[in-house]
Amino acid sequence: MRNRRLIALLIACVAVAASLLISTQLSSAKNEAAGKGNGKHDPDTPPPIYNPYPPGILPSDLDSEIARVIREVDNVEAEALAQLRALPPPTLTGQPPILAHTGQRANVLLGKVLNFDKNMSPFATRAFAFCHMPYVGFSGPIPSVNLTMVAYPGSVRFRAGKRTAQRYTYAPEFPVLNHNDTQAAFFGGNFWDSRATGYLLGSPDAHQAQGPPVDTQEHALPDTACIAFRLESASYKSFFETIWGDELDIKFPHDTEEICETPGGASVFGTDTMPIKLSPSDRARANDVYDHWAQSLDQYEASPDVSAYSSKFDAFLANAATLTADEMAGYKLFRGKANCNSCHLDGRSTAPTPPPPYGELPNSEDTGAEASTRPTFTCFGSSNLGLPLNPRDAIFYQNKPDSFGFTANPFGFGFRDLGLGTFLRSGPGSWPNPNDTWTPFAPTSDGQMQTSTARNVAMTPPQCPTTEAPGPYFQKEFFHNGYIKSLKQLVHFYNTRDVYPFDVTSGHCPSGTIEKVNCWPRPEVKNNEDMTIGKLGLSETEENQIVAFLQTLTDGFTTPYPDINKFTGVCARGGSAATQGNEVLIPTPPLPPCASAICDVAPLPTMPIP
Amino acid sequence: MNRLLLIPTATVALTLIATGNFFFSPQAAAQATSSPKQTSRVHITKGPALESAHGDWAIFTWTSNNPGGSDEHFGVVHYGTDPKNLSQTAKSHIRLNPAHSYTVFRVRVDGLTPKTTYYYKVDSANASGASDKVPSPLKTFMTQ
Repeated sequence: MRNRRLIALLIACVAVAASLLISTQLSSAKNEAAGKGNGKHDPDTPPPIYNPYPPGILPSDLDSEIARVIREVDNVEAEALAQLRALPPPTLTGQPPILAHTGQRANVLLGKVLNFDKNMSPFATRAFAFCHMPYVGFSGPIPSVNLTMVAYPGSVRFRAGKRTAQRYTYAPEFPVLNHNDTQAAFFGGNFWDSRATGYLLGSPDAHQAQGPPVDTQEHALPDTACIAFRLESASYKSFFETIWGDELDIKFPHDTEEICETPGGASVFGTDTMPIKLSPSDRARANDVYDHWAQSLDQYEASPDVSAYSSKFDAFLANAATLTADEMAGYKLFRGKANCNSCHLDGRSTAPTPPPPYGELPNSEDTGAEASTRPTFTCFGSSNLGLPLNPRDAIFYQNKPDSFGFTANPFGFGFRDLGLGTFLRSGPGSWPNPNDTWTPFAPTSDGQMQTSTARNVAMTPPQCPTTEAPGPYFQKEFFHNGYIKSLKQLVHFYNTRDVYPFDVTSGHCPSGTIEKVNCWPRPEVKNNEDMTIGKLGLSETEENQIVAFLQTLTDGFTTPYPDINKFTGVCARGGSAATQGNEVLIPTPPLPPCASAICDVAPLPTMPIP
Repeated sequence: MNRLLLIPTATVALTLIATGNFFFSPQAAAQATSSPKQTSRVHITKGPALESAHGDWAIFTWTSNNPGGSDEHFGVVHYGTDPKNLSQTAKSHIRLNPAHSYTVFRVRVDGLTPKTTYYYKVDSANASGASDKVPSPLKTFMTQ
């Protein structure tokens, strides 16, 4: 017993010493970052700008656009807080105890308040909604970022991620990631690489919500406990406590604020993922808070405030709306000749026989059985569509350390995005794989990205009523690396990827060709390339009809979509949807081989990835 | 778990609900797969043919009746320079549309030698790798 006490005392001393060491180093690192010498952090002094980018990579209006989105976020947050406060409080009753009457709505509104709270970041500048605003289906809200750098700038200007901001809408519908042995494929999860498996919370969407707060290139909090710490001083603290039963009175160490104001990845933390030194019981409480916080966000995203099932197509399924001739033609193509619904499931049991040249019969009658009343337009699977490497992606340029000593991508242009394959290997830029039995499937998953729902792919704010030039339009970005800039290009890529293939990288299409029109550069990853697509035989008119159909999947037709009118920016005008964004194409530099830390990790890819 | 011992019963219940499979959507899971019955006889209705050739790679295509079985499916090309020994195999993934009567298979073949005559047959396979036993004619092509 005495030995145990001595050991316990020794452990406690080591913990205190480590805490003091980190605290001292923190002050040093932060002073260096802020150019100060008094050992205290001045929240009004932002850290130095991190700009490893060559001229032209960051959009010229980035600062003003960041400020614009922060204003919009604050606006929604204020309204959400008012809605939450105006709600009659629920009554805890029954067995099992239920927050009766208004409990569900209170949880949804709490999730909304959490989503738009910019205090959940080191410098109180990044709400979760910053990269996911309602007027674009909760995807990226800055047209110039969508046009150029692809990934969104995080708390540390200008660290950025590597992929486009996925839409929240219908993300809660994805099941817990599982490997279906019969189909020999993965289904479910959240994120492009499915790394938010939902293995503990039972909800990939809630699991996903736990990513950005501590993602080094997003909010960049250094410790998940920072969320509980920030909630303790939130104006809506009592609502959180009422809904979840948590008592937000964790005994945080004196240096917690300083730690939470230091971005994750800072060299001062080393490999410590829990720099806030809490007692085991307080760490468990902070973990509970983090789970509950994520689950409220999930319930907001699952609610009609986000996933509304209120599109024209939903009205069509309910016999409450009629599709135009082009929309209906597009719908038939979607589940017929173009075969889109082999992955973007439309809820119909059968579809017309494909017409010549692939079938033997002309377009036939739809003999389908009853449609699902809420098809999700995804199979929840993953595939490698063979997209070219996008040299504008901000990740390629972040190969130098920032003022905190953090380097997002030491491989530079040696980075290759293997998506699900890298996650299954617990590789760089992903999360640890929680299931070793999945690892052997990495080689057959390389290059695969999640099949997004087609719902709300076309959602834009009312004053910019389309994604398509000449507009007025809202510039969006499509697929995981934002290479595609319009729905017209998206459909054309599916239709002609293998009709106009060129063994070049982006920005190097031969003279006489036009990139994305009659020249598709080679895939970033050709392993496991999906051959369901690539040569669909669609005419120009048929491509446009599919675009028209996709636009019927935008929520807000039957009832107004919440907060869709919050955009205060400017629409784009002019040009053509076919070449939209081509004016900012840049030549891909000569590519070094794929970094060995990505491509030479067992189990090895089925064929070498150059 | 220690936390659960310290908090009111109501919170225990809420915690259990929240950390269980409460949010799992049976409907969502059901949409993940839909395997129609395996077709007893798969036959080619069009092709096989060389769709396009590009230096050291090429695409082959053919149409068959829908083989059924797993939605996750593969087109398979057995090929080689000796018509009696098709020693090499290429597979490409497609996703069957269970509602379609016919299925278009397309297979990308990499690593071909220029200016060489190749012979090939095609097949398809379900997710487990089991052949659909597609009767295929022996075809030939020459690389550029």
